[in-house]
Amino acid sequence: MRKIPFEKFVLPNGLTVIFHEDRSSPLVAVNLWYHVGSKDEEPGRTGFAHLFEHLMFMGSKNAPYPSFDSIMESWGGHNNGTTSNDRTNYYEIGPTNLLETCLWLEADRLATLADVITEEELERQRKVVQNERRQSYENRPYGQSELVIPDAMYTADHPYHWPTIGSHADLEAAGVADVRAFFERYYLPSNASLVVAGDFDFAAGRALVEKYFGWIAKRPAPARRTPPPTVLDGNREITLTDRVQLPRLRLCWHSPPLFARGDADLDLAAQILGGGKSSRLYKSLVFERRLAQDAFAYQSSQMLGSLFHVGVTAKPGVTLEQVQKAVDEELQLFASKGPTDAEVERARNSHLADYYKSLDHLQTRADILNHYEHLFGDPDGVDRDLARYEAANPSSVRGELAATIARSHLALRTVPDGTAAPTDAHPEAA
Amino acid sequence: MIETPAHMRAQPAVGMLPPLRTPSTIQFTLGNGLEVVAIARTVAPIVSASLMLRSGADSDPPGREGLASSTAEMLDEGAGTRTALEVAEELEQLGADLYVGAGRDGSQLTLQVPSKELERALAIAADVAIRPRLTDEDWARVQHDRLTSLAQRRDQPEAVANVLSDRTLFGVGHPYGHPVDGLERTVSPMVAADARGFHQQIWRPNNATLVLAGDFDAATLPAVLERAFGGWEPRAIPASRPTPPFPALPRLVMVDRPGAPQSIIRIVGPGEIRTSPDRPALGALNAILGGSFTSRLNFNLREQKGYTYGAGSSFGFYRRAGSFTARAAVFTEVTAPAVAEFLREIAAIREAPVTPTELTKARATLLGRVAEGLSTSGGIAAQYAELRLYGLPLDEPARFVAALERAGVEELQRLAQRHLDPDRMAIVVVGDRAVIEKPLRDLGLPAPLVCNADGDLLRA
Repeated sequence: MRKIPFEKFVLPNGLTVIFHEDRSSPLVAVNLWYHVGSKDEEPGRTGFAHLFEHLMFMGSKNAPYPSFDSIMESWGGHNNGTTSNDRTNYYEIGPTNLLETCLWLEADRLATLADVITEEELERQRKVVQNERRQSYENRPYGQSELVIPDAMYTADHPYHWPTIGSHADLEAAGVADVRAFFERYYLPSNASLVVAGDFDFAAGRALVEKYFGWIAKRPAPARRTPPPTVLDGNREITLTDRVQLPRLRLCWHSPPLFARGDADLDLAAQILGGGKSSRLYKSLVFERRLAQDAFAYQSSQMLGSLFHVGVTAKPGVTLEQVQKAVDEELQLFASKGPTDAEVERARNSHLADYYKSLDHLQTRADILNHYEHLFGDPDGVDRDLARYEAANPSSVRGELAATIARSHLALRTVPDGTAAPTDAHPEAA
Repeated sequence: MIETPAHMRAQPAVGMLPPLRTPSTIQFTLGNGLEVVAIARTVAPIVSASLMLRSGADSDPPGREGLASSTAEMLDEGAGTRTALEVAEELEQLGADLYVGAGRDGSQLTLQVPSKELERALAIAADVAIRPRLTDEDWARVQHDRLTSLAQRRDQPEAVANVLSDRTLFGVGHPYGHPVDGLERTVSPMVAADARGFHQQIWRPNNATLVLAGDFDAATLPAVLERAFGGWEPRAIPASRPTPPFPALPRLVMVDRPGAPQSIIRIVGPGEIRTSPDRPALGALNAILGGSFTSRLNFNLREQKGYTYGAGSSFGFYRRAGSFTARAAVFTEVTAPAVAEFLREIAAIREAPVTPTELTKARATLLGRVAEGLSTSGGIAAQYAELRLYGLPLDEPARFVAALERAGVEELQRLAQRHLDPDRMAIVVVGDRAVIEKPLRDLGLPAPLVCNADGDLLRA
């Protein structure tokens, strides 16, 4: 029941294609992953993979701007894209008879985008992305931390050294020549995988994929990068000021890459430590000792190396030193005594249940198939993935957490800059 | 330039869009009057449930604004035989997500759980809804967390803009004039007895509908639900408060955020009730103005001008007349030109009819949203719970789509002239006053009313 049924084939030009059938609604989802992310950016061009994702909606040879969005909405579909360190994805969902149009749109931009992109279009999306940076990071409480953590945790020669959104200066520096070079190198059939999911016939779907993608020339896929080792030379302490009422402590450690040994154990450790109201940090710091307004932990799993995060926002009148001491006690207790059987079982149940809930949406199933294809070269990854959680036990979870927090860490403190709106500043009327 | 084959040169034919396919529903009523709607769907081995109560923040007593929300969020802090932490631990053991919260017009418990644990999760959900402990000790702890989060709300410019917009549009004393989660001064005097009283009055089976969607055993469902919810006693529900008229709107309202890199802009005016027959046509009108990616507002302010990551608009349809809101977060330096573009676009859509192409696109976009909304268990439970909150029949999605087909460009223009008058809307801005006030005044706008982050007017 937990496997997502699929059929896979590869076109002669190297495009991987995965079909999944679901006849429950007259919908079809198209989901295209390119194996390129911000890790593949050149020095001085941070943020480029994401900027490029925006440019993919700026028109192609046979579907000039703004056809892509306009056609999709005119026929009752919608579409978007996302960029991470490791990959870029594009997706459409709509009525089933829009499938051929979705394939045509995706194929046309894969084949022709660099030919038609103009300086003016680049300039417009550059401004949109700079606004995205302000909205999502700069004008959001604690948002700057996400910009600082990659810089602090990875050395300048590591591809995770910068945030996916990039810097304003690098975004300003990007030009059409960069777009062409990036497109030539990474946007090719052999560097992509296409999932089509929903209410469609596989034979007809295959003929359509061959018709629209099959003519695109084969080019060699780019080599994947091998990163330098990810170690932190000693603990780092950074303090940021922000327009916030309450100080927050963030702790980060290097941890095993996605799917490496220990990755799943650390997911469970994070859930037990900081995954909601049944977690240890919540129980101790928020519920019992009233030191914190919130507490969280997570393993951010990525292909070239992961980070294990802990975050706590102090209650008014509580210092970050008090918070740090309390967090340290919980972490040391976990590292020495380990979690209970019941805690590991709950965390595992919660993780498995999240997987079942994710099967509810057609587009999410398409994304899961592409995720496994991206990682393993095989969409059939669920058993391999979930078996890691089923095999975890209190001893393995304790051991991985202990090994992780024995490494050097970043302590990032965000403290109020004093400008945050105070309580009841001269109200005229109650 | 790359040569593309002939079959690439034009968009393939699409043909007729498939008609809306609505799921079949099972409806029954428990002995205590609790209405149940169930929709079977076997794609994922889960069940999504929504228990919707027909009273929300609009039932907050004056001076205790935020009580519906405070009460709802207290319900899972200890219920039946379980303490607060035991509730959380048992839900995690079952892999169940349970949330309780309030909106303007309703309070809601939602549950999502793997099918094999449905009955056990429903037992906890029933304890939470029917038998919350609401002890003084738990109340004191949660209230302190809530007061702190109300202070933290002042850090979030979007949240501040929402508080300010509602207060400006509806006015103090209107059931919608206060934020759903309240204000520091209205939450701090509350005591646990307030929550106990509110729960006793409002959380009643005759004031609720339970919607379940997903992979469940339909044959045993009535008995399972009777076991879980059968002991819940009905009681008369207090009449709702009268609705005051919309106040006269100020033209420009501002919260100063010195040094902010963006300004949050909201243009607000009166809206319509949820059951209005004009809702489908207003939906189409809004899709064209600001309710879709290729809408006029987003195309102009984001794609053409590069002022923002996204501009949009929406009608809020509630039990009482709601709101029209246009919104964007823009570069601080372009705040005034962005406001001018908003006003220009709103004026333009009332002065000239929309094009038939725009209307066709809006119909398809809305049809697509309804269809996709009915393609997941979570979406189905949420949609049907919302329908029953407003007493609407379950075939409303099909009626909505049929009404969309009938709406013409003349009707949209008539509605734009009635509902979208840019000269009578309030402009709400959260941003760096020192930089943005003069350019806004230069547009011909009056001096702003300046408020703090809770929406209280500051002395000049």
